[in-house]
Amino acid sequence: MQVVFGVQKIFNLACGSFYALGAYVGVSAVGWYAAAGGPPALFIVPLALAGLAVGAVGVVIERGLLSFVYERDETFQLLLTFAVVLMMEDAIRLTWGTAPRSTAGLYLAYGQTQLLGATVPVYNLVVIAASLAIALAIGWLLTRTTFGRIVRATADNREMAAALGVDLRRVYAKVFTLGTALGTLGGALVIPATAAMSEMGIELIVEAFAVVVIGGLGSMRGAFVGALVVGILRSFAISIYPELEMLLIYLIVIAVLVLRPRGLFGGAGV
Amino acid sequence: MLTVHEIDVFIQASHILRRVSLEVGAREVVCLVGRNGAGKSTTLRTIMGYLRPRSGRVELRGQPIQGRRTHEIAALGLGWAPEDSGIFTDLTVAENIEIATWTRRGGRPAAERLDLAYGVFPVLRRYMTRKGPEMSGGERKMLSIARALALDPEMLLLDEPFEGLSPTIIPSVSDGIAQITRLGHAVLLAESNIHHVPEYTTRLYVIERGEIVFAGTLDDAWRDATVLRIIGGTR
Ligand SMILES: Nc1ncnc2c1ncn2[C@@H]1O[C@H](COP(=O)(O)OP(=O)(O)OP(=O)(O)O)[C@@H](O)[C@H]1O
Ligand SMILES: [Mg+2]
Repeated sequence: MQVVFGVQKIFNLACGSFYALGAYVGVSAVGWYAAAGGPPALFIVPLALAGLAVGAVGVVIERGLLSFVYERDETFQLLLTFAVVLMMEDAIRLTWGTAPRSTAGLYLAYGQTQLLGATVPVYNLVVIAASLAIALAIGWLLTRTTFGRIVRATADNREMAAALGVDLRRVYAKVFTLGTALGTLGGALVIPATAAMSEMGIELIVEAFAVVVIGGLGSMRGAFVGALVVGILRSFAISIYPELEMLLIYLIVIAVLVLRPRGLFGGAGV
Repeated sequence: MLTVHEIDVFIQASHILRRVSLEVGAREVVCLVGRNGAGKSTTLRTIMGYLRPRSGRVELRGQPIQGRRTHEIAALGLGWAPEDSGIFTDLTVAENIEIATWTRRGGRPAAERLDLAYGVFPVLRRYMTRKGPEMSGGERKMLSIARALALDPEMLLLDEPFEGLSPTIIPSVSDGIAQITRLGHAVLLAESNIHHVPEYTTRLYVIERGEIVFAGTLDDAWRDATVLRIIGGTR
């Protein structure tokens, strides 16, 4: 999401919806997989594939809607992506109904383990490892590849990038598709550990907001640290005192806003 | 090679450029001189495709380019160094320069284009691994021009390359630009002070409130009382 926002300067609320969409499609995919008698231990394969495949809706939305509004002002973009969020929520309700969907304890297929005195499902560790791997892969993509450098330059100064021959629309389309696929994949992967709810999109937006505030807008290192902070805090809070979970995040966000308004890593030399 | 023919440009409701015409031939160095707010940047930005003229034509090698997208105009052979240098601060000096070789392939091989860019401003080689925020104003201007050159353009548009530079650094930037013209590139350069107009300038246009009020050689400009009143400035 950070990548998408930084490059397109479109505050894309829709990424939360993609996350929710990935979650639902993930539930269904695992359902079909189980019905077809696939071995439980391999359920992560259809899950990940479903998450990636549904990422293709990103292409449709980018081509169909967003490509028309890059030049419009930010309020307009915000409204449009919010409309997408609402539409997708309704589409999800129509398709999957309003009750939360879960994969019925499937995550226990990988067993549990002891970690720092708490009992943790192994699947959660798998998800953490997968997120880390994805974060590292993105980091590698952005810093070590030609495409990544062009993306960073575009995020920095899109007028200048265009003057150096960068086709902005092509970069936007690629980044958006990548962002969507990561969103839906993320949604699909976490689903065994929680339940899919049509509101999970909004919840993720709040969390992403926290990540962005903590890390500082447009700073990749900041986003990584921000995500780490939020993630760790959440998991601690959940295992110790669940009601505190969101409160704690808001407290940190407020603290950062007061003490470091540009975020922990934001804004050097802007 | 570049012809701007009677363009009218509006920004929102304000009429910024009125029937501006100018011409840059192959290998020429042309200066567009005018006070702050006269419309120099607007003219260059219209040529680069950031703004669309309401009427008039912009032609590159006889081919109309107004209304085309900026990256296409760059690919047709126009290099751009904006007023604020437009350095990608998140990238190193080397990466800033290399970008142009990834986006516009063909023509000379990348290594040769990089050699040209560093050859014009050799100090940049020393800062290759540095990032934007660690650079001085003069280094940014040089990087911006070198980067435009690495695109291997036939012509460069330089928006106030000497603006804000200390008198000690201006000669090295000016020498770099002279070297670029000797390499055979045409240059269109915006400047606000006639004292900064390089003596190798082929032709000079004076722009005042969005209109071209003088066209001629630098010597003629020095003899023109109106021109001196507008852009004579102080030394
Ligand atoms: N985005 C904008 N919105 C409204 N007016 C603008 C905008 N950009 C430029 N102008 C107006 O257009 C006129 C010409 O501006 P321009 O930047 O082309 O001048 P300039 O000759 O490059 O001056 P400078 O020496 O300050 O760079 C000015 O009157 C300016 O106020
Ligand atoms: Mg200007």
